[in-house]
Amino acid sequence: MTANSILAARASAGTGIPAPPPKIRHRSDAGLYRIIVIGLLAIAVMAPVGLIIYQSFLDGPFFSPRATLSFSAYSYVLTDPMFWKALWTTTVFAVGMVAIAVPLGGLLAFLLTRTDIRFKRTLEILVLVPMFISSIVLAFGYTVSVGPSGFVSMWMRSVFGFVPWNLYSLPGIILIAGLSHVPHVYLYVSAAMRNLPSDLEEAARTSGASIWQVSRDVTLPMVLPALIFAAALNLLLGFETFGIPLVLGDPNGILVLTTYIYKLTTLFGVPTYQLMAVVAVVLILITLPLVFFQRRLLRNSRRYAALGGKGARTTRLKLGTKGQTIALSIIGLWLFVSVVLPIGGITVRAFVSAWGQGISLWDHLTLANFDRMLSVPSLSRGIVNTLLLSVVGGAAAVFLYLLIGLAGHRNTGHSNTVLDYIVLLPRALPGLVVGLAFFWVFLFVPFLTPLRPTLIALFVAYMIVGLSYGLRLLQGTLIQVAPELEESARTTGATIGRTWRDVVIPIVRPGLAGAWALIMIIFLREYATGVYLMGAGTEVIGSLMVTLLQTGAMDTIAALAFISIIMTAAGLTLALRLGAKIHD
Amino acid sequence: MKLTRRAFATAGCALALAAGAGWAQDVPAGYPDDYAQLVEAAKSQGKVVVYTSTDIAQAQAMLDAFTQKYGIQVEYNDLGTNGAYNRAISEAAANQMGADIVWSSAMDLQMVLAADGYAETYASPETGNLPEWAVYQDQIYATTVEPIGIIYNTGAISEEEFPRTRADLIAYLNENRDKLRGKVATFDPEKSGTGFLHHTNDVEQTDNFWDLAKALGAVGVRTYSSSGSMRETVVSGENVMSINIIGSYALEWVQDSPNLGVAFGEDYTAAFSRLALLTKGAPHPDAGKLLIDFMLSHEGQSALAAGGLPSVRSDVTTGLNIDSLNERVGGSLKPIAVSEDLLTYMAPQKRVEFFREWNASIGK
Repeated sequence: MTANSILAARASAGTGIPAPPPKIRHRSDAGLYRIIVIGLLAIAVMAPVGLIIYQSFLDGPFFSPRATLSFSAYSYVLTDPMFWKALWTTTVFAVGMVAIAVPLGGLLAFLLTRTDIRFKRTLEILVLVPMFISSIVLAFGYTVSVGPSGFVSMWMRSVFGFVPWNLYSLPGIILIAGLSHVPHVYLYVSAAMRNLPSDLEEAARTSGASIWQVSRDVTLPMVLPALIFAAALNLLLGFETFGIPLVLGDPNGILVLTTYIYKLTTLFGVPTYQLMAVVAVVLILITLPLVFFQRRLLRNSRRYAALGGKGARTTRLKLGTKGQTIALSIIGLWLFVSVVLPIGGITVRAFVSAWGQGISLWDHLTLANFDRMLSVPSLSRGIVNTLLLSVVGGAAAVFLYLLIGLAGHRNTGHSNTVLDYIVLLPRALPGLVVGLAFFWVFLFVPFLTPLRPTLIALFVAYMIVGLSYGLRLLQGTLIQVAPELEESARTTGATIGRTWRDVVIPIVRPGLAGAWALIMIIFLREYATGVYLMGAGTEVIGSLMVTLLQTGAMDTIAALAFISIIMTAAGLTLALRLGAKIHD
Repeated sequence: MKLTRRAFATAGCALALAAGAGWAQDVPAGYPDDYAQLVEAAKSQGKVVVYTSTDIAQAQAMLDAFTQKYGIQVEYNDLGTNGAYNRAISEAAANQMGADIVWSSAMDLQMVLAADGYAETYASPETGNLPEWAVYQDQIYATTVEPIGIIYNTGAISEEEFPRTRADLIAYLNENRDKLRGKVATFDPEKSGTGFLHHTNDVEQTDNFWDLAKALGAVGVRTYSSSGSMRETVVSGENVMSINIIGSYALEWVQDSPNLGVAFGEDYTAAFSRLALLTKGAPHPDAGKLLIDFMLSHEGQSALAAGGLPSVRSDVTTGLNIDSLNERVGGSLKPIAVSEDLLTYMAPQKRVEFFREWNASIGK
């Protein structure tokens, strides 16, 4: 997406869309706007994706004069046993992750939005915390707390004589990844649940259904779209996860597709873009059927419209003392495992110079890890840039997502099919590859080259990488606006632009604040996308950590991770406050 | 000391300012007479861009000294070895070379850059002060000499107990399999270019590397992609020792890490270098030349050595230099020469053979 398209989109949205001729109003409302927005988005997504596909059919870097068209990259990858092993491990990993994250995330969303669970305000912030941390640092936090020499493991050994878990095994990695992705599911599902009117649940409750039955038979079917979105997305996330397998799986030979890509580079000595591209194409091919099934499942989105013209007062289900205890215990345990353990680990690491067996943490307490933040310009710039990119860039991205969301809203045309497919593509690709492709786009497309050394290049890449999250989140909210509201506005003579501006957008406004918070977090924790794009002056914390990891400057990495946690926590608290105000 | 140096520098600056543009730059001894013109040209270019894999923490002192001396800003891009290489060749293809200097520890990738014509020829006046192996055809310059060594947890193995030669190490691994099982770490040559260089250099330079690899396989070696992450596991006790890591880092680490010992083979210790080259099509070529000269100069080398990167010059007295380092590691330092031999293992066939034997030996 370029500044042009922003302007074009803004112009068309602001002026209420060039008024369409009255006779074709019914189905192709704002058709031109939709086609322009979706077309520009398609270009922004397909430029890097197309480049990757093209690269996969070459036998050298696409910019090399010696590169020729060839299937050699495919034949290499597809006959490499290591690839198939990695693909299998990745599948097990992704499915396992979804199996853990989706039920837990859904349950959490139900408890926090539909019941009178206690400490709700605090919990709403706490349950998002695992998302704050880029998985690379999350994994690292776990090694400090529950790794073989972690402080929890050592305590366990001294009390019970043994440690009942192995962090460095596939089940261990799946469990950690699954638990850390619970907030992704929670955010989607809770956004959908928050807007559900409670009359149906109340009716079920008064007819004698238990809380369990209500949630299963009434709430669950109504939030099915959100659950399916969340499951599909998490499956994709599972396929492109990099940090956790890298830190926890790598030393023991557990290989997934993304770490396989990483390995391909060294196998050949020089980066083998064509092989990376083939793996990326494989990931795209996995994505397409997923989108196809999702579309089939959600074909009739009218079924899920619940936010109608009738009063939508929500009253919360009563859990009772026993229910409260059970619910809070489950949440507490999950929070302990997925928040206290890793953040505890990172916090400890940020303030000590050494840890482990036979080492007293008190003796090695230090603030020296943070000294560098001030004295090294690239680090302090990285902090400022990350803040800018996530707060300002996040808001800009939400605005763009809204424009795109409206283009897809009640869109029955072909452009909507295009939209559904292109949205998930960038998310299916490893961030490292997307970042590299964008680097090339900004390098080789003449009018874009001046933007390359600026934060705008990073913003565009981030915006595309965050597209599936942001857009689905907005769409999930938009879908709930009952058509009769829009129809009545249209009947009374409002243009489609005016309907969107005065009816749709005000209704979804709480969702926008929530989306901003989410996107802010996504941009804050993003690490892989910026690795190839950032340069001196455009450093971002996440990618700095990746480059630092290459030499292993753990002191600095831990300090950066700690700062990013603090920053996100502050940002989120603020956003929630804003969001809460709008909501009330 | 610091204060006086700063005062001195300030005075120097004041003097330079007072004298104005006509003030002749002091040309160091051994430099050509027209060097002052290079300095002037470099100054008018204003800045110099570096693509590197070296953490800024280690380079800061040298970069600051350069900027202070010439008033030229250094734009320092820490991109990692593959990142630096990738960006350089991509930008060259787009005719937008952004780097003046690529300064990387991936010696083989640097050699590939030169072989593929991405390096500019520039004969540094400092060449005479460097060992012969440290310069390749006036294109690539070795700026450091960093031993490859072993770190170990002193809580698990005492310094006296630790093997001193390669042969002893192999024997030690074989004799203590139960104690060491799953607790020995090394670089993963499949994921780390640095690890690949260390291991393949051993294959060429020693006759018992594959015995070592088999011994590592027998204790279920765990493989990592950075020295820093291995340090973390050895300090914490998760691993007992870590083999073929970057010893210059280790020498720094042992000063303030508890439980950490560092060992070098008394019979054989390889050393790698961070190589600097001037790019073809550099946007600030004169400033680039100036920085290369400065990195190799006594002053620049001292600043690097102070940052923990031992000097290739034997006349540097700050930190370690190539001679004192040789003494420190037991007198058998064998630096990897900057030569076309580095390209040997860039041939796919050679790589495949190595990986096949490596995986067979470590049993993965």
